[in-house]
Amino acid sequence: MNKKIQRSLAVVSAAALVFGVAAAQTSANAAPKTVYIAYQGPLSGGEASTGTDEQNAVKYAIKLFNAKNKATYNVKLVSVDDQGDPAVAGTVAPGIGKNKAILGLVGAAYSGATIASLPFYKAGGLVMISPSATRVSLTDSASPDFGGPVFHRVVGKDDLQGPALAKYATAGISNAKVFIFDDQSSYAVPLAGYVTGGLKKVAGATVVGTDSVPNTTTDFSPTIAKIKTSGATVVIYTGYYSQAAVFIKQLRDSGSTAIFAGGDGVFNQEFPKLAGASAEGSRVTGVGGLAGVSTKLEADYKKSMGVSSGVYSVESLDAANILLQGIAKGNTTRAKMLAWVKAYNGKSITGNTIKFSANGDISYGLFAGFTTKNGVLVNTGIIK
Amino acid sequence: MFEVLIDQFWSLTIAGVALGFIYVLVSLGYTMVYGVLRMINFANSEIFMWGTFGTIITSRDIFGYTQTSAPATGPKLALVLISQLLMSMAVAGLTAVFVEYVAYRRLRAKGTNRLATLISAIGISIVLSELMRLLTDSRPVGSPRVLEKIILGEVWGANLRLDTIVTIFAAAGIYFLLERFVKLSRMGKAIRAVSMNEDAAKLMGVNLNRVITTTFLVGGLATGAAAFFYITVFEYTKFNIGFTMGMAAFTAAVLGGIGNIRGAFYGGLFLGLLEVYASAVLGTQWKAVTVFIVLVLVLLFKPNGLFGEAVQTTRA
Repeated sequence: MNKKIQRSLAVVSAAALVFGVAAAQTSANAAPKTVYIAYQGPLSGGEASTGTDEQNAVKYAIKLFNAKNKATYNVKLVSVDDQGDPAVAGTVAPGIGKNKAILGLVGAAYSGATIASLPFYKAGGLVMISPSATRVSLTDSASPDFGGPVFHRVVGKDDLQGPALAKYATAGISNAKVFIFDDQSSYAVPLAGYVTGGLKKVAGATVVGTDSVPNTTTDFSPTIAKIKTSGATVVIYTGYYSQAAVFIKQLRDSGSTAIFAGGDGVFNQEFPKLAGASAEGSRVTGVGGLAGVSTKLEADYKKSMGVSSGVYSVESLDAANILLQGIAKGNTTRAKMLAWVKAYNGKSITGNTIKFSANGDISYGLFAGFTTKNGVLVNTGIIK
Repeated sequence: MFEVLIDQFWSLTIAGVALGFIYVLVSLGYTMVYGVLRMINFANSEIFMWGTFGTIITSRDIFGYTQTSAPATGPKLALVLISQLLMSMAVAGLTAVFVEYVAYRRLRAKGTNRLATLISAIGISIVLSELMRLLTDSRPVGSPRVLEKIILGEVWGANLRLDTIVTIFAAAGIYFLLERFVKLSRMGKAIRAVSMNEDAAKLMGVNLNRVITTTFLVGGLATGAAAFFYITVFEYTKFNIGFTMGMAAFTAAVLGGIGNIRGAFYGGLFLGLLEVYASAVLGTQWKAVTVFIVLVLVLLFKPNGLFGEAVQTTRA
């Protein structure tokens, strides 16, 4: 019941947005030219923190751009709230797909919602750059989920991250006994599969147990009982940082000293903050958050947005910047914007070169390892 | 399949009982209101969530504890813990009274049908959770550690941890206090009278509005106490934490027999243990499936829950 009400609210607000944009467009003046880009992700409901963090990064990029290009362009953001839910995405995407005033879209945040939105964006020729949809099938031209030609992503795929995480988690541990568990999300379950695959290539490592825990769990005692019985020396979690923080506290309180490792969902400076001393020594893979890129950038972000950057902030900034650079170059139709993104060759704020493959994947996809030291996740270099 | 259960039986049991007592207190919030109004208080989950924030604000903002500060000891420990408990109960109790005032009272006075109050309760629950989401920027909030999680000793290979032991004994104490209140006090008798027969109670001079407000208050106080124990054990909250807890506590109430205070007690403990054992034996992914299969089976044979609805039996 609750969810249904939220859904219908989402539809109404999306409709209001679409009409709002149309109305705003007719009244816009000639110079500076007002153009629209959209962000799609969960902005309300249980997954709202991921979407809010991503959208803040997009807003930040737009703010910088508008300040720099005051005379020529005024970029406005259209927020598309899909609650991270494919069913909601299916109801909000048609309006966005048809609204030609929107030149490009950062998102969708989640793979499932991306798949549900794709038919409408393909029909409308709306280019998408997702900061966080990692499902492998999205860029697999043989799959029914294939997002070409409109779908692109600036995040590494699960099949790259899984083996990297397996390697990093077991580094320096001989004959590692590994316990893997996921949070049942569409992000975590496939990633856990690729981690398991990756472990086969790590000499001496064996998987001694698995579990799958809903992402609303706060009592991990059954999982911890399993970890103790299995005698695991390494515990790998695919899921998000807030759950990871709750779990690691309980694991350490139970007396276990097994190494804890997590994927990019755990990669967030909030993780050691929430978990305190329990997080020390935890190993996390990620492409590096804003603070990892530059503390100066993070400070400016916080000053400008009022909150710290979160998960996928770097990816969201990169994605927004690609679209904004396209606007600066005068690509103010959907067709031109799509061509611009397809041919894009530029730098990420991390310094990596961004180019897209024919299927929409990013050209790099190297994951760095981070270890918690004195309450901060510290970059220990690219995992090779 | 059973090796985890055998190997870790007592650890799991202690964890399950602690979790069970938290469920007991939250399900009191559902069962008391149902007993009196024959309506489900859908906002109880958010009352719980507000209580968790009350607990954290007390230790973090009033006493100035941070994630890195050392846990409290001696008299200071008792002072902080008791303040946290009282604050959490106060926040949750007042929120519950507020919910009754806004979502139930006027509609009840106007004699609208039950579905209207159902919707207004869901509405206020969305308002409460979205408000907290906006206040916290959708972020999870960690609680500073006030009570050090000392391992007191070992029983049959299971660690007896201070926080779980405190939770089990204190929660049981609060439960018995509330049960005595409903059973023995004048107000408690009035509550039971209204739940048996509203009209007759009114004719006997019972102030209906006051009884209903007290019922919400008592349910809120129990839920607030649960929120305090929850934070002490799990040290974490978020704006959407109420949903899962509310679902579990409501299930516990139905399992034991909704409207029946003792039913909430056994239902909560049973559910806590069932969840923990099922997760250990079948894997956590089977937890919800097992719980609801058991619920359906129980309702199949005992449609009023394990302990039935005390009130309905007296009615027949």
